[in-house]
Amino acid sequence: MTTAPTTRVEREDRREYRATRRRDLAVDLSMTLATILAALAIGFLVMLLTGNDPVQAYEAMLTGPLDRSFRVGRWLEDATTLTLLGLSVAIPFRARQISLGAESQVYAGALAAATVAIFLPLPPVAAVVVPMVAAATAGAGMGFVPGAMKARLGANEIVATLMLNAIVVRVYDYLVNGPLKEPGSSAVHSKSIQQDSVLTPLTEWFGIPLGRANVGLFLMLLTAVALWLLITRTPLGYRIRMTGSNPDFAEYGGIRVPRAIEWSFVIGGAVAGLAGAHLVQGVYGRLEPGLAGSLAFEGIVVALLARNNPLVVVVAGLFYSYLRAGGDIMEQQTDVGTEIVVVIQAVIVLLVTAQALPDLLKRRIARRQRRQPIQGDAR
Amino acid sequence: MNESGNGPGNRPRGEAAGVDGSVAVAACAVTKTYANGVRAVRGVDLEVPPGEIRAVVGENGAGKSTLMKMFYGLEQPTSGEIIVGGRSRTLRGPASAIALGVGMVHQNLMLVPSFTVAQNVVLGVEPGRRGLVDARAAVETTARLAAESGLAVDPKARVDEVSVGMRQRTEILKALHRKARVLILDEPTAVLTPQETEDLFAAVRRLRDGGMTVLFISHKLREVREISDKVSVMRAGSLVGTVATADATERSLAAMMVGRDLSLDVGRTPARPTEVTLRVRDLAYEAATGQSLSEIAFDVAAGEVVGVAGIEGNGQSELAEILAGLRRPTVGSIRVGGTDTAGLDVAGHRRAGIGYVPEDRLHNGAALDESIADNLVVDRHDRPPLARRGVLHPRAVRAHAERLIDEYAIRTPDPSVPVRSLSGGNMQKVIVARELSAGPRLLIASQVTRGVDIGAMRFMYERLVAARDAGAAVLLISADLTELLALSDRLLVLKDGRLVGRFDDTAALTEKHVGLYMLGVEHHDREQLVAGLDDAGEAPAA
Amino acid sequence: MSAVLDVVLSSAFLAAVLRIATPYLLAAFGGLVAERAGISNIALEGQMLAAACMGALVAGYSGSVALGALCGVALAVLLGLLLAALRLELGADAIIAGIGLNLLASGGTAYAVYTLLDDKGGTSGLKSGSLPTVTLPGVESIPLVGDVLSGQNMITWLAFLAAPLVAWLFYRTRFGFHLRAVGETPDAAESVGIPVRRVQYTGLALSGALAGAAGVFLSMGYVSFFVRDMTAGRGFIALAAVFLGGLRPWGVFLAALGFGAAEALAVQLGTLDVPPQLVSTIPYAMTLVALALYAWRRKRRGLAGGVAASL
Repeated sequence: MTTAPTTRVEREDRREYRATRRRDLAVDLSMTLATILAALAIGFLVMLLTGNDPVQAYEAMLTGPLDRSFRVGRWLEDATTLTLLGLSVAIPFRARQISLGAESQVYAGALAAATVAIFLPLPPVAAVVVPMVAAATAGAGMGFVPGAMKARLGANEIVATLMLNAIVVRVYDYLVNGPLKEPGSSAVHSKSIQQDSVLTPLTEWFGIPLGRANVGLFLMLLTAVALWLLITRTPLGYRIRMTGSNPDFAEYGGIRVPRAIEWSFVIGGAVAGLAGAHLVQGVYGRLEPGLAGSLAFEGIVVALLARNNPLVVVVAGLFYSYLRAGGDIMEQQTDVGTEIVVVIQAVIVLLVTAQALPDLLKRRIARRQRRQPIQGDAR
Repeated sequence: MNESGNGPGNRPRGEAAGVDGSVAVAACAVTKTYANGVRAVRGVDLEVPPGEIRAVVGENGAGKSTLMKMFYGLEQPTSGEIIVGGRSRTLRGPASAIALGVGMVHQNLMLVPSFTVAQNVVLGVEPGRRGLVDARAAVETTARLAAESGLAVDPKARVDEVSVGMRQRTEILKALHRKARVLILDEPTAVLTPQETEDLFAAVRRLRDGGMTVLFISHKLREVREISDKVSVMRAGSLVGTVATADATERSLAAMMVGRDLSLDVGRTPARPTEVTLRVRDLAYEAATGQSLSEIAFDVAAGEVVGVAGIEGNGQSELAEILAGLRRPTVGSIRVGGTDTAGLDVAGHRRAGIGYVPEDRLHNGAALDESIADNLVVDRHDRPPLARRGVLHPRAVRAHAERLIDEYAIRTPDPSVPVRSLSGGNMQKVIVARELSAGPRLLIASQVTRGVDIGAMRFMYERLVAARDAGAAVLLISADLTELLALSDRLLVLKDGRLVGRFDDTAALTEKHVGLYMLGVEHHDREQLVAGLDDAGEAPAA
Repeated sequence: MSAVLDVVLSSAFLAAVLRIATPYLLAAFGGLVAERAGISNIALEGQMLAAACMGALVAGYSGSVALGALCGVALAVLLGLLLAALRLELGADAIIAGIGLNLLASGGTAYAVYTLLDDKGGTSGLKSGSLPTVTLPGVESIPLVGDVLSGQNMITWLAFLAAPLVAWLFYRTRFGFHLRAVGETPDAAESVGIPVRRVQYTGLALSGALAGAAGVFLSMGYVSFFVRDMTAGRGFIALAAVFLGGLRPWGVFLAALGFGAAEALAVQLGTLDVPPQLVSTIPYAMTLVALALYAWRRKRRGLAGGVAASL
């Protein structure tokens, strides 16, 4: 005796399936929207409770970034770095690896790009490309260390990446304050990179002032598409997805799970390295202390919100940067601090990670809809 | 099917209900139907008087464990009553069972590894005042209980550093410390050495003499004969009967346990085996946990189905995973076709033409949250026609899926449906479709029909036979004897990690006969097991 | 080299080690309690920050240092309970929820300070005072020891008392037993009737309290103001100390003390032309190596059971 007939009914109707899928998608989308709205509402309340005028604040925040062209530029420049960092963690997340190492990777990338772009004389095109390649390589190397430790030894990747962050940030700080500091300058920063290595500002392309936004924006979009193709259209992407979905299944199917894990770290690291190159070659033109700010951690938020889908990461990155840019403008125009944006972001993260919420909702809707056709069939 | 379960030794129902303390624990017309429709226990009446050691035996899936879980409050009966201490009880959880004096020692022990034996014994009811734990009192209590019951433990040793036997004794002491009057032991000897088993039995007898009621779940008939006062036999969810142990022989018990009324008829032609495809010689495997294997040698030829019978946990899983490349054998040679696969990785095994339907499809048979299409290509996602020059073509993956969905009658609206939303039978079809469509030289099929509906079951059978007729060597591992006898051209029996039986002709073979080998009542000698196998001479010695 | 030795053996240096190690110790014990309860508390950083800010603000406005410290710790406890609720009630990933809480604390404190004081940097414009120092009578006169111990803040004393206290809690009390059982094998704990969730909530509240005390020390120990993001990653380092210390109270004590000593050394060596940033990487590099060695040893012993099993 092994079995008894199961009572489950197979859904065979393709139309019904499509409807279900549309409904799930609609629920997902509206959940995302509801999450954002809920976070904005909480921000609204916080402002109200702290004696500020939330309507005025939100108006400045939500319309501000599009007000002037250089503000648009500020937004796009920020979004480029943030999205690249979001992409960099989305890939290991896809393999279900909680890599928090974007910070070490972005600084390693920045250092590599700056070193090459400052000291290595190169012909015009190579002067742009070689520092970026160096940055990606350095970032990949920083990804490889925790990746290999996890894949080959099973060492906890959270601790490994956090430690690496702590180390690289300090080494970076030392180098900017010491060996790489511009001689004779009173302020702490490196020498400027060679003019040929600068990523062309968008201002030159479009003829309107767009601040520090540069062609890195297109590089970011290309990277997102490339990563999307990698995940959906390559054997390696397939292996990363299966490893993340069920490592036992992947192993059973003949996939070398440790290699897939390692690659996810290396690819993520390379992308974070590119973000470092963008900061050096596109935004600052040199190394500055703490140049990535809190972007590395916010990249995690962006990836989460986008459910690690590279194309959606772009949307989420643009959205987040918009909030960040809007927050700055809001602070200039009203009494509300830009930090409220971080609070709103945090609320979004907490709502997104509360997984039981959308499932609960989806199940409830499904139950309600299932009840209806049965009544209809009863005739 | 036999629904009522009234066997020779079973008293009529009225007696069980009108108890006044003469029954320690009883089930009254208990039925358990799971949410997925599986009826694990069917109208069972069972009563056990105080101070008796009652063995409950049955094949895998006979319903013994479910019944015991109901006594311990881990499951609630769908209908019928559980009686403890003379009254009908509703047990909401283990806590209420413990409060009523029922203790259970699970097969996978519920101990905190970093705690000492004494700490585990007192966990939850620690001695001491004002929120403190009196460590000395815990040790003393444990030592006293151990001395009284004859269950020797070292109270101060850490649980993860003591033998499995001592861990088990710790579990029993835990129940004793909570004043259990009824003790359920779920396959307690499975992990014990013979000496440990002896000691356990002595202790259990002493407990019985002190008035303890013991429910002893086991497959091992020899042990059942040795330890129990009475034996209740379950089969297919029903109680077949209860007999006094003194009146029972291993053979008579086996006869009651094995065999079902429903025969399975699979239309298949006689096998036409050709050259040997799988050749296993002197295979041994040293398992850190689980069953070790030793001295395994057999052949499977192209065009035949070789069944592997055995009570679950006797090495079938290990054997299958070794052959599929998921575990490395300790010694021995395995050749598939011309390839020595013993040193290869999983991908190498697959390249050698091995297909594997794993026993637990939810564990590693599928990526549940991924689409059917993605689940169908895990072994071929990196080569034409699906992938060319490092590019995986989603349209090709989809077309591939649609073809297999059609061919294997997988009921689904779309290849993009996540596997999780399929029923057990359909999910299994996805796995079988993947493994068979690879055109394997050797197919290892482990528990192919577990938890699938009748329709899917038939389908699997037909496909396996078709694969055989197409020239594949099929190694069929199953806990279901009926299935094995219906499908196998030859049959092997595994027990305690060794081959104990080999039947080259299954035509006249009965379940009862095979059951004797599975239960260790009989075994073939070595000459018969290795008859006709060419010696391992051609296997490389180094 | 002898210059280095002089520094290391000076009483000022040893006193600095105690001072600098204080937040690491408290936060690490907070992380330890949560980890042993089975929920990783990566929100230590945010709890410290929130407590530091709350403490300085309340103390500044109310004039009561004690009330400020209390409110700071209470806020951290609330954040701990919130983390537990997200994990246990809403199925959130503890790591991601922790990251969210850190963001919330970072944004929330900066917003609060800016809104209340119109200051981006911190609360230096607010007179909030600091917690009292404790000097044991008689200790003062002991050479070296007296210099090291005299004038240490009460929270420093608390931090060093925390090691035996946590060890006592873990190994002597009923709650500690239940906490460890719940974190290690929840099934076994549940099967003997231990209220698993309640124990986890309590553990996370305690974890928050310890992190909160660390935070309060930052803004009310040696300084008397809150600075934006003043925790500067200490919470993460404390978490590393939890793992480096092998999840045992005294191991964690030594690891956290080591981090404190390395940082103190980095500060001292800064005056000797040795780059302090490089010195301060030593404990992290050591942690990384220790992590690798530990994993390697575990793998060799075969406990991991393959990569797939350890994911």
